[in-house]
Amino acid sequence: MWIAFSATFKRQLITMRRAYPWSFFIGHILDGVYITIFAYLSYHFIFQGQLNTQFVSYTGTSDYLSYVIMGGVFNSFAVSLLMIVSRMLINEMREGTLEALLLTPSSRLGYFLGAAIQGLMRSGIEWLAIICVGLFFGLNLVAAHLALLLPIMIVLCFALFAQALVLGGFMLAFRDTYITQNTLFVIMTLVSGVSFPPQFLPDWIQGLSLIMPLYYGLELMRSVMTHAAPSSDILYHLLSLSTLGILYFAIGLLFMKRMEKSVLEKHFG
Amino acid sequence: MLEAKHLHKSYTLKEKNGWLSRRKQQIKAVNDLSLTIEKGEIIGLLGVNGAGKTTTIKMLSTLLAPTSGTISIDGINAVKQPELIKRRVNMIAGGERMLYWRLSARENLMYFGRLYGLNGNTLKQRCRALIDKVGLTEFADRPVERYSKGMKQRLQIARGLINDPDYLFLDEPTLGLDAPVARQLRVLVKSLAKEKNKGILLTSHYLEEVEELCDHVSIIEKGHLLLQGTPRRIIQTIVKDRSLIVVMKTLDKENWHWLKQETDKLGIHAQKKETNEGTRVDMKATFDMTSSFLALAQKRNLQLIRFDAKKPNLEDAIIRLTEVHD
Ligand SMILES: Nc1ncnc2c1ncn2[C@@H]1O[C@H](COP(=O)(O)OP(=O)(O)OP(=O)(O)O)[C@@H](O)[C@H]1O
Ligand SMILES: [Mg+2]
Repeated sequence: MWIAFSATFKRQLITMRRAYPWSFFIGHILDGVYITIFAYLSYHFIFQGQLNTQFVSYTGTSDYLSYVIMGGVFNSFAVSLLMIVSRMLINEMREGTLEALLLTPSSRLGYFLGAAIQGLMRSGIEWLAIICVGLFFGLNLVAAHLALLLPIMIVLCFALFAQALVLGGFMLAFRDTYITQNTLFVIMTLVSGVSFPPQFLPDWIQGLSLIMPLYYGLELMRSVMTHAAPSSDILYHLLSLSTLGILYFAIGLLFMKRMEKSVLEKHFG
Repeated sequence: MLEAKHLHKSYTLKEKNGWLSRRKQQIKAVNDLSLTIEKGEIIGLLGVNGAGKTTTIKMLSTLLAPTSGTISIDGINAVKQPELIKRRVNMIAGGERMLYWRLSARENLMYFGRLYGLNGNTLKQRCRALIDKVGLTEFADRPVERYSKGMKQRLQIARGLINDPDYLFLDEPTLGLDAPVARQLRVLVKSLAKEKNKGILLTSHYLEEVEELCDHVSIIEKGHLLLQGTPRRIIQTIVKDRSLIVVMKTLDKENWHWLKQETDKLGIHAQKKETNEGTRVDMKATFDMTSSFLALAQKRNLQLIRFDAKKPNLEDAIIRLTEVHD
């Protein structure tokens, strides 16, 4: 596994340096920045600083701007990481390298992890860039439970990675990236509490937030980075996120294996 | 030794009939095919488009699981232990696929080498040696997207050799290559088998190539084995006709009548035709008629301008074979 990991990491690094996907990079940053600016403008000019009391009771904070900007920051981080990992195999298929890859006796998990860790370098830069923009528009960071920041980040990345495997399986099944990924992203952004708490949504849609790693990630990150929350809540969410991640991971690995076989069977040429 | 026994492969195709309903259809791409490859031997797999050659190669290289049948490579079951087999085989397909276009030749080989578990100096040296071998030294650090077709194809050969496989499967490796490059490739393939003792399976639509390279040939049709043997034997068993064409400055009526009678006696079918070159006689028989005809020509002192004895080749054999089966 280590072999495929380091080989793929190096390969992706070379590819990124040679042909940096600037359009994706800037696109992701802009996505985050748009959410920030949109929130800023609507808060000041439409709501005129007035907040729905429900918002405060759902979120435990009256700092709407910090809430939304955190949403934008992590939403684009999640989108970026999901895209990088989920598109790996379908890209190999489109570029005609899938068979050469599958001919080698290498670990697929190592391959995906290599791509993910390399991808984190890119997503991480985007993430920092959006946070910096956010600070100008009213993002208030506080250092509460700072020791938990790293473990939360690791668990969140793992869960997103696992979700990307499932997404990648669907991409192979439908032979499509665009519609598949954007369907997920629209739903994810809607139900994960990116710019408003999911409690505002009808119950049946709200349920979807429970299968989105981003939802737990945002809850956790907001409690740790913007306002203090009781640590029992944090542990509970961290545990849910881990469980969800493990679930996605198991499903994703199996699904990917199946799709890999089916692509070879159905792919002419 | 690679042994494939009673291989079957069916694909399921879903065809739309009507708006939402779909009909399942089974396509038998390979149907009870058996073959063996010894180390050091080059086997040719021939057949028309859609005969099942690529499917067979994909099964042997573990990309596809056979619907039924067994494949064993040096005693290892390829269906049950594909991970072990992958280390010992490799596959090269014609065309420009199976390479990362953004990476250079060296980076491509390093990547694939690492995936086979090579590292450090062993890997570096092997990459360098392979790049030299396929003549890409000058371009080793240039991204593949800027390569010509022939260069990509040569790099693919290097990729196929990166794990130093015992068995190598080549699916139309000279597709679209110009004559000198195709020739270099043939020399390389021959040396891989004869000097490096690799077992090689080759498919190609260029029959001269197959005739030149292969020790044994299997001809398949609709996934089924039609004929197996050395190229020479196949030609002998299938193409019975040989032809001889001679052109003479002049051939008067009397000599023609005599010639016709004599050739008839020998079982040669002869036809005369006037051309601007002179008088042309086309002869057909089931044996090599060179010496008998020369004897006749000497008797009457016929002056020959041209003398063409055409040896039948594999192409004639294949054409004949498919005619019979259509
Ligand atoms: N993935 C697939 N799904 C369904 N049918 C397939 C698939 N791949 C191949 N076939 C069918 O199986 C048969 C054998 O195909 P195959 O590609 O093995 O032929 P081939 O001998 O390599 O032909 P060619 O000389 O054109 O390369 C053909 O009828 C083809 O249409
Ligand atoms: Mg083919």
